[in-house]
Amino acid sequence: MIAFTLNGQQVEFAGDPETPLLWVVRDTFKLKGSKFGCGAGLCGACTMHLNGKAIKTCVLPVTVAAGKTVTTIEGLAGDHGLHPLQTAWITHNVPQCGYCQSGQIMAAAALLEETPTPSSVDIDRALSGNICRCGCYPRIKAAVLAASNSEAGAGDDEPALFYDATGQGGQA
Amino acid sequence: MTTLSRRRFLKTSAQASGGLIVAIHLPGCAFGGALPIDVADDGFVPNAFLQITQHNEIIFYCPSDEMGQGIRTGLATVIGEELDVHPASMTVVSAGSHEDYNNPEYAMQLTGGSNAVRAFYLPLRQIGADTRALILQAAAQDLGIPTSQLTTRNATVIAGDRHYPYGDFLVTASSLPLPENTTLKNSRDFQFIGQEITRVDAREKATGEAIFGIDIDVPDQVAAVVVRPPVAGATVTSFDPTAALASSGVLQVVEISSGIAVVADSYWQASRAAKRLQVTWNNPALSTVSSDSMRADLTAALYDGDDAVTDDTGDIDSALTSGAPPPQVIMHSAEYFAPLLAHAPMEPVNATLRLRNGEADLWTGVQAIGAAQGLIERITGYPRENIRVHNQYLGGGFGRRASLAHIIEVTEIALAVNKPVQLVWSREDDIRHGLYRPASLMQLSAAVDDTGRISGWRAKRAGGNLTPDYMRNSLPALMPNLPEFVLDGLTAATDYWLSRWSIDGSSVEGLHETYDLPTRQISHVTVDHGLPLTFWRSVGHSYTGFAVESMMDELAEAADIDPVVFRLKQLESKPRMYEVVAKAGELLTAMSVPEGHFLGFAAHSSFATDVAQIAEVSVTDNLIKVHRVTCVVNCGTAVNPDIIRAQLEGSVMFALTATLHGKIDLAEGAIVQSNFHDYPILRMDEAPDVDVFIMPSDEKPTGIGEPGVPPLAPAVANAVYRACGQRLRELPLRLA
Ligand code: FES
Ligand code: FES
Repeated sequence: MIAFTLNGQQVEFAGDPETPLLWVVRDTFKLKGSKFGCGAGLCGACTMHLNGKAIKTCVLPVTVAAGKTVTTIEGLAGDHGLHPLQTAWITHNVPQCGYCQSGQIMAAAALLEETPTPSSVDIDRALSGNICRCGCYPRIKAAVLAASNSEAGAGDDEPALFYDATGQGGQA
Repeated sequence: MTTLSRRRFLKTSAQASGGLIVAIHLPGCAFGGALPIDVADDGFVPNAFLQITQHNEIIFYCPSDEMGQGIRTGLATVIGEELDVHPASMTVVSAGSHEDYNNPEYAMQLTGGSNAVRAFYLPLRQIGADTRALILQAAAQDLGIPTSQLTTRNATVIAGDRHYPYGDFLVTASSLPLPENTTLKNSRDFQFIGQEITRVDAREKATGEAIFGIDIDVPDQVAAVVVRPPVAGATVTSFDPTAALASSGVLQVVEISSGIAVVADSYWQASRAAKRLQVTWNNPALSTVSSDSMRADLTAALYDGDDAVTDDTGDIDSALTSGAPPPQVIMHSAEYFAPLLAHAPMEPVNATLRLRNGEADLWTGVQAIGAAQGLIERITGYPRENIRVHNQYLGGGFGRRASLAHIIEVTEIALAVNKPVQLVWSREDDIRHGLYRPASLMQLSAAVDDTGRISGWRAKRAGGNLTPDYMRNSLPALMPNLPEFVLDGLTAATDYWLSRWSIDGSSVEGLHETYDLPTRQISHVTVDHGLPLTFWRSVGHSYTGFAVESMMDELAEAADIDPVVFRLKQLESKPRMYEVVAKAGELLTAMSVPEGHFLGFAAHSSFATDVAQIAEVSVTDNLIKVHRVTCVVNCGTAVNPDIIRAQLEGSVMFALTATLHGKIDLAEGAIVQSNFHDYPILRMDEAPDVDVFIMPSDEKPTGIGEPGVPPLAPAVANAVYRACGQRLRELPLRLA
């Protein structure tokens, strides 16, 4: 029996201890926001936080999580609304197909925890383990920079519905 | 065949549970009687584009598949413009499989070819406008106020200072005849078209709530992984399931037409057990082919093969005869190569199928849902109306999800297993057992006269054709009742025909169309190695753009003319592209780049859209770095400029992966690469900045998902040449 904290809840897993954390979270606990992209630690689609650090979970046996705290994209938003990164993701229209985005956001959130105002190079370093086949990189970077500059915390307002024609953004 | 543009009837019906449904029905269409929609059941597929509930929820059944290109937002904007409903306040869902949703240009439900906004632009506006007119008439009747005194705004009817939700008028609306051919808005009155409306799927994709095919989890579902032959086309000679069956969680090992399926309680258990399976395969003809031998075959075909001519305009032989009298001044010939490529969409292909009591439910994400339904019909023999396709968000398409081998596999497995089955391809399966962008060898020869105009242009391409594979894959789906031997015969005939007398359009597209080339000859030599091939974002343009635009720079240099000016000379009868190139030239002239950075230019028309790109590149220690790409695009009316920018940004990244890294190799017929370590995808630290300039236009919208791909590789190659003097004519670019 492997016990850990998943998005604030105590959970126990009784299956094969070699099972990667990704599949335990997706198949046993039915949280589908973390994705399978390569199964080899190469793409970052499966990124979660383990004790606050971003980690690729498709090659991480669930035993490693025993007694630790796991956060997935589903647990990122606070009680008061979206994480500032999620808000920035929406206002920058970041996602295309969206499949990589949970992993991108989780990797970015861990970066901001450690480095609240990252440089462009910091972002490159922290996010280069996360592939986006749709090529959203410029927007991902812009959104991380925007979120890191925002003073508001998790209680940030909901995003604007409209961009105006100049692309400046604004509330509907 | 265009069906939507014909005269149509709109059928309406008010239902207690679901409100007003508006669907397109064509004269002679089999539809009649009750609407084929059970609106209380989310799992059922409606025959309708719009549904207005009594609670004024506006549901738009989007006929095209969302794979990142922003089509749900784009089409919601188009229909919402005329309906007066903001796209963000609509519920946009994926339409099911029904002929009413056929793409008007393809007469089937296919999302691809960058045509969805173009093809649905007027039909969906018409439906929006007719529906709004109907609501207005119903409101006029119910309120006793003439329509001339009513207006609409965001799903409400406004009478003086009173606002009434559309949902208030459903009963009356359903009793009225539906207006037809309601006048559409003038573009100057557009409120949503042209605005940078946030994507309707942005929020759920930022919260992890968006559901992809792989996220489907139906009760009692089991997981399947298929072991396929290393060489495409091989079949099983023998297999030993013992070790796999002994692996934990494994339920069954089943032989299917493409290989051996391992079925287990979970994907991870199935994939672990699959590695323990012992299978031997026979050796098809492809097993003698390697990347080198394929390349040698292409070279032999290009220079010694019989080519089929697709376009022969003017006297090309004398135009290209050396020593021809002036005004011809320059003669140049060069050869370009582009390799096999895989698509590698971020979500590996997958499908979940439940067969129960003669009914089928398929959950997946594909670019051709009608064909998926047809395949299940063919294999199970179930009546089509009992087969429902629930298409989810596609985790990337790029052409890969127009092919449906995984639908055949999941159906065969589900028939054997008697439980709902989820089949997932691993990344290794995706890279090794997919369908590929064909390798292409091209020879271009040109003469330039003393005015700087191209006076002769010959382009010849050797490589595989897509149509036979497409026929092989889609005919069984589109004609589920046609016997196998007829299908085989048709495919063989297509093969034969295309290799001898006709030319697959996608094999040669882009070899001349961008420019005025009054004296030209385009030809093709088919080389088929038996490796499955398919559409890959921008299709033929993905390699012809590289050849043509590299050649344009080479010719400009030989003629000692500025490359932008040189292109403008070949665009005198193509005003739209002329303006795009001129604008890009203006931007280029104004650019100042840091020491050691160089600019390369390219332009290419595809999918009715014109794109020019300027790549800012540096070369240090044999490393090509692309710093910035500036794009100028004319895609007609910009329905959502921000999505257009996003598509160009994404196209630049997708094409840059192919330019710097992309290469699939064969060794004894098997694909060498297997995952992102040896088939690398561009990462953030390699990603250039992208600027996009959208040419203002009132014309009908044209494609945007693909046209940003073709110019990128030649723009980079042209910049590399300026940076270090090496003319690289082979992709991916490798410095000597
Ligand atoms: S799925 Fe874990 S890194 Fe790719
Ligand atoms: S949004 Fe499609 S892979 Fe990143």
